Amino acid sequence: MEFDDKVPIYYQIKTVIYDQIIAGQLAPGDKLPAIRQLAVSMTVNVNTVQRALSEMIAEGVIISRRGRGNFVTDNAQIVEQLKQQLMTSYLKQLYDRLHRLNISDEQMVAELTAYIERQGDSNGNDIED
Amino acid sequence: MATTLKIEQLNYRKNLKKILTDVSLSLSGNKIIGLLGENGAGKTTLMRLIAGLAKNARGTITINGDSNLANRKSLISYSDPLGGIATNQRISDVKRFYSKVYPDFDEQKYTQMATFLKLDESQRLSALSKGTREKLVISLTLARQTSIYLLDEPFSGIDSMSRKKIINSIIQWKPADSLMIISDHYVSEIAPILDEIVIIKDDKIAVHKAADEIREESGQSIEDYYEGLYGEADIND
Repeated sequence: MEFDDKVPIYYQIKTVIYDQIIAGQLAPGDKLPAIRQLAVSMTVNVNTVQRALSEMIAEGVIISRRGRGNFVTDNAQIVEQLKQQLMTSYLKQLYDRLHRLNISDEQMVAELTAYIERQGDSNGNDIED
Repeated sequence: MATTLKIEQLNYRKNLKKILTDVSLSLSGNKIIGLLGENGAGKTTLMRLIAGLAKNARGTITINGDSNLANRKSLISYSDPLGGIATNQRISDVKRFYSKVYPDFDEQKYTQMATFLKLDESQRLSALSKGTREKLVISLTLARQTSIYLLDEPFSGIDSMSRKKIINSIIQWKPADSLMIISDHYVSEIAPILDEIVIIKDDKIAVHKAADEIREESGQSIEDYYEGLYGEADIND
């Protein structure tokens, strides 16, 4: 796995795991691989994985069961909250950037709608992709 | 128990040249420490002093408060470059030698690593490529069960596939309750596996910081931060 070395690694590990949870690759109640196995698969330090897990446990998304391992919460509300948080932060980035370019809210909505339509077209037509 | 390696006021000269000056450093916990510095900065000297292989330094080195040299040596596994072993020896001979000399040598663990790194027992040292030789050194070093591992430039001059394999074996086989120091002058590839960074510059410790702290505070990659530190000196010179 390739990390951006300008950003704390523990933070990037969290992002990877949260993305997997939101995308459904890790389902509610799923058991996470052992810490060392996660470290090997991501080519990072065991302690860094541990730090990322501790934060995810503190945030309630991962549940640690003594002697049994770490699990994705089966509380759908927490996962939904996480999804909202993540979407809001991505939307905020996009909105702030477009806002700085003096693009009106109406135009943003129109452009985004048009963009999504074009994406849909190209996805549908381009079989090679 | 977490291991603490403490170096206090270490001074070392070679032929009147200062190699290390007033080096004090305290490393503890089950971490991987990156020891960085230009060629000739004193990384190998510091490692050899810690391992008890270089002598006549002033200052103290203790492990968990104990300064006895023999005790210290028994707690350290150093990546010996196999310089003292005849080149017509086979990998199997070297392994046998290690298991005879070191009571803490774990043959089972060695075999796991040798299999993972695809070492061929029957090959003679003289026939090994640089990458394969380094894989052998790493397997021998990590097969010992000690509190401290010193890996001296395990990645220099070897291809990127071998590098990745070696990094992978370090993550897999570093015992959970051990302290590891890896020296290198090329940091980008090992940066993600380092807990802390120690930079030696002008025969002194210039920086000792957590790797993620450097990223968080400076917004820079470890490599850029490290190069920046050396770059400043060039401007001032």
